[in-house]
Amino acid sequence: MTQDPQRLSDTVSRRKFIAATGAASAAAIAGCTENTGEESEGLSGDVVVKGSSTVFPVSDTFAENFMEENSDVNVTVDSTGSGGGFKNHFCPGEADLNGASRPITGEEEEQCGENDVTPVEFQVASDAVTMAVNNEADFVDCVTPDEMSQIWREGGAEQWSDVRDEWPDEDIVKFGPAETSGTYDWFNENIVGEDYNHTAEHQPTEEDETIVAGIRDNEYAIGYFGYAYYNSNSDDVKALEVDGGDGCTEPSLANAKDGSYPMARPLFIYASESSLEEKDQVYAFLEYFLENAETETVEDIGYVPSNTELRDQNLSKLEEYDTGSSTSTE
Amino acid sequence: MATPGREIDWAGETGQVSRLRGVAFELACLAAVGVALVSVLVLLLYVATDALRPFSADPGWHLVFFLTLVVPTLGTAVYFYRLEEPAGEVAYATTGLPVVGILFAAALAVVLDIELVTALELFALLVATLVAAGIVVVHGRYRPGAALERLGVVVAAPVVTVFGVPPVEVIRALNGVLSLIGLPAVSGARLPSLRELILLSPVAPLEWILVIVSVTIPVAGALGLFVARRRENRRDGLAFVGGAVAATLLAPVAGPLLGIGSTGWVLAVTFCLLPPAVYVEGVVRRNEGVHGLAFPLVLVGGILLGAVLVRQFGFAPPDSWLDWQFLTSAHSRTPEDAGFYPPIVGSIMLLIVVAASAFPVGVGAAIYLEEYAPASGLSGKFVELVEINIGNLAGVPSVVYGLLGLALFIRAINMPSGAVIVGGLAVGLLILPIVIISAQEALRAVPDSHREAAYGMGATRWQVTRSVVLPQAIPGILTGTILAVGRAIGETAPLLMIGAAASVRLAPNSFSDQLPAMPRQIFAWSSNLEPEIRHGVLAAGVVTLLVVLLIMNGTAILIRNKYQREL
Repeated sequence: MTQDPQRLSDTVSRRKFIAATGAASAAAIAGCTENTGEESEGLSGDVVVKGSSTVFPVSDTFAENFMEENSDVNVTVDSTGSGGGFKNHFCPGEADLNGASRPITGEEEEQCGENDVTPVEFQVASDAVTMAVNNEADFVDCVTPDEMSQIWREGGAEQWSDVRDEWPDEDIVKFGPAETSGTYDWFNENIVGEDYNHTAEHQPTEEDETIVAGIRDNEYAIGYFGYAYYNSNSDDVKALEVDGGDGCTEPSLANAKDGSYPMARPLFIYASESSLEEKDQVYAFLEYFLENAETETVEDIGYVPSNTELRDQNLSKLEEYDTGSSTSTE
Repeated sequence: MATPGREIDWAGETGQVSRLRGVAFELACLAAVGVALVSVLVLLLYVATDALRPFSADPGWHLVFFLTLVVPTLGTAVYFYRLEEPAGEVAYATTGLPVVGILFAAALAVVLDIELVTALELFALLVATLVAAGIVVVHGRYRPGAALERLGVVVAAPVVTVFGVPPVEVIRALNGVLSLIGLPAVSGARLPSLRELILLSPVAPLEWILVIVSVTIPVAGALGLFVARRRENRRDGLAFVGGAVAATLLAPVAGPLLGIGSTGWVLAVTFCLLPPAVYVEGVVRRNEGVHGLAFPLVLVGGILLGAVLVRQFGFAPPDSWLDWQFLTSAHSRTPEDAGFYPPIVGSIMLLIVVAASAFPVGVGAAIYLEEYAPASGLSGKFVELVEINIGNLAGVPSVVYGLLGLALFIRAINMPSGAVIVGGLAVGLLILPIVIISAQEALRAVPDSHREAAYGMGATRWQVTRSVVLPQAIPGILTGTILAVGRAIGETAPLLMIGAAASVRLAPNSFSDQLPAMPRQIFAWSSNLEPEIRHGVLAAGVVTLLVVLLIMNGTAILIRNKYQREL
């Protein structure tokens, strides 16, 4: 490649050009700067919610609504079962809140205590445990708690005809929650009864959706779950009425509220005392949760909302743990 | 010799062989292929129909796009395939390059968006690395003979410029150990690195300018070098870099105009415009398969024309679950608002941890087992036992690895439950045996004659491994690793065990954040109260996961093909 004088002069002028543009762009870039290290005010950090699959839809909805207003707070919600949440996440100190469809047991409180976790209880809503059968099962419409106990106790009825003579000679196919579930614990204690144990011969699952699917596909199946899951699957399965001594009542929010449905039960949320005191975002989320637990949002999901009295009681209980915003946000 | 009482038939005696068994066997194999293909296809179609809902569109919409898009692109594709093969290759490359570019640009945009790495950190890291490299080069020039000293410089230079003396990471690890044995944490004066000094500066250039400096200039520089070599002309290379930077400088005007922001424009130019530009220039100059350039034009033109016509006639598009909104928003209780963005980001960050943890360990183990481990005697038997056990580990249920992760990372060393890093390490353990086995296969595929030839020329074992075996085995190792990582992305059970939550609405921006992952979100959706989420939104998530998997496996195949051709 030969280099003619023309090109050489080109190079020189280009060098000048580069120097000139370099200086100009340095000046331009100096103008195009921004300040670093701006920190936005407001809440941030994680809120870890574990626990009952029954409470999950409520917590998940509140998490979504809360995060629309507090976009830097990460509220993560998981459905592990009430017992699973206490045992594996909440009591070891890895969760801030734990949903529960039954009160905490002494054993669990002991486990929490060993890890210096102090649970604080709030009742947030009520649920109607729903006993459901296949849509084709027209032989049964109403059961008594004692009949349910016969079906679900260990060594209890194996065929429908074992419970009531006019029912068919078919095996009862049982779908129910797993032992980690608060619904299981509540049912075991209140319906199966203290003298018996819950049967182990059922298809246990933590996913209420699977119970619905199992009942839908089997004509002689029976199973139980929270009312919300029945509410969103009411075409797929048939809910049984329950006769607690005052005649048959169907499971519904109204019946659970006025107490005429015998299988209504309270739902709880447990907060870790240290999380409430140390993490502002946990306090703020729980405050939002308790305020809204009384609104129609809860009813839309399929639960009985708490009442204003309970709400005020909860909020004043929560205020005891208010340390102000002086603590550092994580 | 003859066996008494037994006559051996020779097929030639009768002149006929029964073909029945052979034909029957062939047909049975064909039937097996058919069953496999049909069952997979039915499943995919079923999921895709649920996710995209093509039947919810106006028939006119399908007709318009059939005429403007499907017919012309299929027509040109068939023409290229049958009559002009070089043009077909050009068509394939010019369509594929921008797509890959978009993926790269999108990935980097997400990284900057969630502040996993900020533009300033990228810039500081680049400057610090360049300075370190400069020190090493200068040292090599002034003291070319001092090999041991250079090893020291190679280690020390990046420590000084990138990590600082002593590195923060070392102090943190030391304090972790000290707190375990109950001693107070150490703190004292330390010399910050060049990188940290840059990060400390109170003012910084705007993000898009930093991205130009730290992303566009390196990419354009590499492409410019390529152009300069190809044309044997340095000037053209420099002109290319200049043009590239000039195009990115339009950012403050063009970015907001297109609605992608200044940084978006810079990334789009860098990844979607520059590589195709270099390729197209080469095609035009060689004048080989130029007709192929028409293909992307037909494709884009068809989409635009179709979109205009559909709007003109008022045909409704399909109301598909898998849309832009789905890819950019978080999970919601309302099916229409539900999205997949945090799980996509979470899964990709999970894969980064998986690859970073399983690749070095797995490949290192494979190299030792294949190249160094004793093959005979008692220790050889022990190595064989180890290899058999690695094979067994590959078959251990994934839930067991989840429990191992829970016990090891969360309970024993107190990492945060459900964090990205814990999930990544647990899944990394899960694919480790697969990485080891596939890397071993790749190393075994290198012919022994090559090793022996090198030994015969006096090479040491280290030289043989580094210069003969590894270069040949790397493509196979990479393919195996990518396929293993592809398996990792779909793993759900370990994530459940380490406490990954069912709904996480913020994309993680550090490795200790709560992990949202694609399979975990799909599993959570499967038990949602809303039937539309269980059926529609879930299917859209599955399709997204499959597309990501397809891209990864496609990359693995491309790498394999490219290197196989070169060998």
